[in-house]
Amino acid sequence: MNAISMNRRHFLAGAAAGAAALALRPGLSYAVEGDTLIVRGASDIEVLDPAFQNGLLEEEIGRCLFVSLNRLDDVREGVRWQPYAASELKQKSPTEIEFTLHDWLVWSGDFGPVTAEDVKFSFERVANPDNASPWAYAFDALKEVEVTGDRSGIIRLKAPSAPFWVTTLPYYMGHIVCKKAVEAAGGKFTTEAPATAGPYVIEKWVPNQSLTLALNPAWKGEPPTFPKVQFQIVTDDDAAALAYESRALDYTKISLNTLATYKDTLPEKTQLIQMDGNRFSWLAINVNNPKFKDEKVRRAIQYAIDVSQIMEGSYSGLAAPATGVVPPALVGHREAILYPADAEKAQALFAEAGVSDLTVELSAQNDKTSQLTCQIVQALLGAVGITVDIKTYDDAIYWTLGDKSAGDTWQTLEIVLMNFAGGVDPSENLTWFRPSQIGIYNWSQFDSPEFEKLYQDGMAETDQEKRGGIYRRMQDLMEESGGFVFITHETFAAVAREGLKPCILADGYLDMTRFTKA
Amino acid sequence: MAAVTATTAGETTIREPGPLQRAGITLAHVLSHPLGAIGFVLVVLIVATALFAPWIAPYSPTAISVKERLADPSLSHLLGTDQLGRDLFSRVIVGTRTAMTVALTALSVSIAIALPLGLIAGYGPRWLDAIMILVFDSVSSLPMIMLGLAVVVLLGPGVSTVILVIVLYSVPSYARLVRTQTLSLKTRDFIKAEQVMNAGTPRILFRHLLPNVIGPLVILACLDISTVITLEAGLSFLGLGVKPQIPSWGNILSDGFAVIRNSAVPVIAGGAPLILATVGFTFFGEALRDALDPKLNPERKP
Repeated sequence: MNAISMNRRHFLAGAAAGAAALALRPGLSYAVEGDTLIVRGASDIEVLDPAFQNGLLEEEIGRCLFVSLNRLDDVREGVRWQPYAASELKQKSPTEIEFTLHDWLVWSGDFGPVTAEDVKFSFERVANPDNASPWAYAFDALKEVEVTGDRSGIIRLKAPSAPFWVTTLPYYMGHIVCKKAVEAAGGKFTTEAPATAGPYVIEKWVPNQSLTLALNPAWKGEPPTFPKVQFQIVTDDDAAALAYESRALDYTKISLNTLATYKDTLPEKTQLIQMDGNRFSWLAINVNNPKFKDEKVRRAIQYAIDVSQIMEGSYSGLAAPATGVVPPALVGHREAILYPADAEKAQALFAEAGVSDLTVELSAQNDKTSQLTCQIVQALLGAVGITVDIKTYDDAIYWTLGDKSAGDTWQTLEIVLMNFAGGVDPSENLTWFRPSQIGIYNWSQFDSPEFEKLYQDGMAETDQEKRGGIYRRMQDLMEESGGFVFITHETFAAVAREGLKPCILADGYLDMTRFTKA
Repeated sequence: MAAVTATTAGETTIREPGPLQRAGITLAHVLSHPLGAIGFVLVVLIVATALFAPWIAPYSPTAISVKERLADPSLSHLLGTDQLGRDLFSRVIVGTRTAMTVALTALSVSIAIALPLGLIAGYGPRWLDAIMILVFDSVSSLPMIMLGLAVVVLLGPGVSTVILVIVLYSVPSYARLVRTQTLSLKTRDFIKAEQVMNAGTPRILFRHLLPNVIGPLVILACLDISTVITLEAGLSFLGLGVKPQIPSWGNILSDGFAVIRNSAVPVIAGGAPLILATVGFTFFGEALRDALDPKLNPERKP
């Protein structure tokens, strides 16, 4: 057998040929002017069933495979919705929503037309506590779906619910599945949907690498601009930016560090997208921990933390301090916090409380932003005489810290750096701080009957101005409790090729069916 | 090497060199090889930096000054500043102390545990030896990083957790070495003589066997210092090692990686000492092994 010889010249020639082949390969070439749109998938898929999916890429794929009664527009144009699977969708009374489905909607696999019975099955399946869907809470307001015809029905609510239109119907929990197909599949499914009716179908899936969608030939609605969409699975933000720079992607979300760099030097033929994100972060102070029983101590901590320093150090100066958990774009956003940073007041309150040599434990996830934030908090509290012991945890452990079903740690928690994904309605951001969430997600153990009453009032109130007042008061109550230091609504940043018009939803996820060429 | 002395009566006696003389001979052998000399210089430099870190570092390595974040190298900040405005040079210097503290503590504890375990396994009854070997092999079969991640997830990150991970990783191999040495030594005449004289087991183990097995163990530990430093840096880089505010080369690398698009200096500042320490301890350890191993160093043949 002859040995393969490889000298420097051979290597260079081979490398050049390889690079050329890679550049000319249709799937990886610059595609916005072609038929294939290549975007980054931040995770792989595990469950496509709308009742049980986990989010991330599953949410984006689900929007391509299934339809919902209405759908949201690009969040940069405001929180607006329009009918989608429904040709008619209207509020018949404060507790009744009447719908009629398009007559051209059909299921794949000979399962016939999409019917009102499918809508009833889909919604009640998620809402049914026996099915233990993680998204059942979104249907708290649902009483029943009454089928009035093959394609028409009435959604009946237990009480008026303004958020139902924007937080339930257009999201994955509101996606319509085929009753016959799902029942035939045993009641639920994972990565192989038994029947779909959306604009795309899955053409090819290479686990942990890519997923390609092609047009659904049976789709008779508004046709998507791109006949093919390919998700390249890249979990790391910085790696995704490198993939974008090497022209392997047409669109990707980027990290704030990359955003800072791109603000100076943007890759050519690129549009930079930056907007207020909906993920909010805050410090949760356990009001029931003996160290923080004295309200003066909690208030002193609030005064001691200068969030602007966190914005500079952890977020590269590219995010703004939060005034609560409701972001600026939503009704109920507060203009200012009640206790702005004031180190002197902090020290005076500590002295008044008779506290000296206080050591507190600050728990956080072990990602870079959290670590930087913890160190700044440590320095700021150190300046007023509090010693902070930082404890960072892997995700799997971190999310059990405040969970009463996972042991007793939730009772002894001290301060925790937390962040949650928000929604398009303020109620979605505030629901986690209700008394019923203590020992689940309310790690401050903030227990306010007034807060709960206001929450219920807000759900039933349809006057947006009045709702705004309710939600601002709810955030005042949170801050007054001393259990919260609001940090930021994380900035959302992404890059897209020039000539591409992405459709970005309020939670930062994409609606691939409405990506267009500008 | 034994010293030969001539007496006035014309007889010759052989005098064993003292410990200091032996160390001098070993050091001379290490320095006589270029790689050994380079390793020695690097090790001395690293150990001295670790010892005198608080006096060498111009700033507190944890003092945050957000306004000065990501400053370029200058006369006031020799390596610039990191994302929180901390002086990188000071963090690298004090990081040396962290690396050495973790490495020396972990390896000392490992030796202290492995020595008695290995002696008992090698000198004790066969059934006990079999059980202990089963335990050593079971622990050794776990992938090191996976073992580390599991321990860190259970106990949370921190210096003590990193030390525990290293001890768990090191003890089985060290104990195995001691056991092998003990098995070989226990059939030697001087041990048999002790047994005939009814010497107690503790006396045989700690008075006669221990001094003979500790040498190879120390050499192995010396060779492992670079591995241990890399392991600590690796865990810290992943956010699972020492706490984020503590200066460590892994933390500096991790912080630097996040801002590599702004500047490569932080990554180089964290990576360079790691490379130098790895090279230094490896070269020095190998030269030391060559100097002390009679098979590799003919001059030391008995």
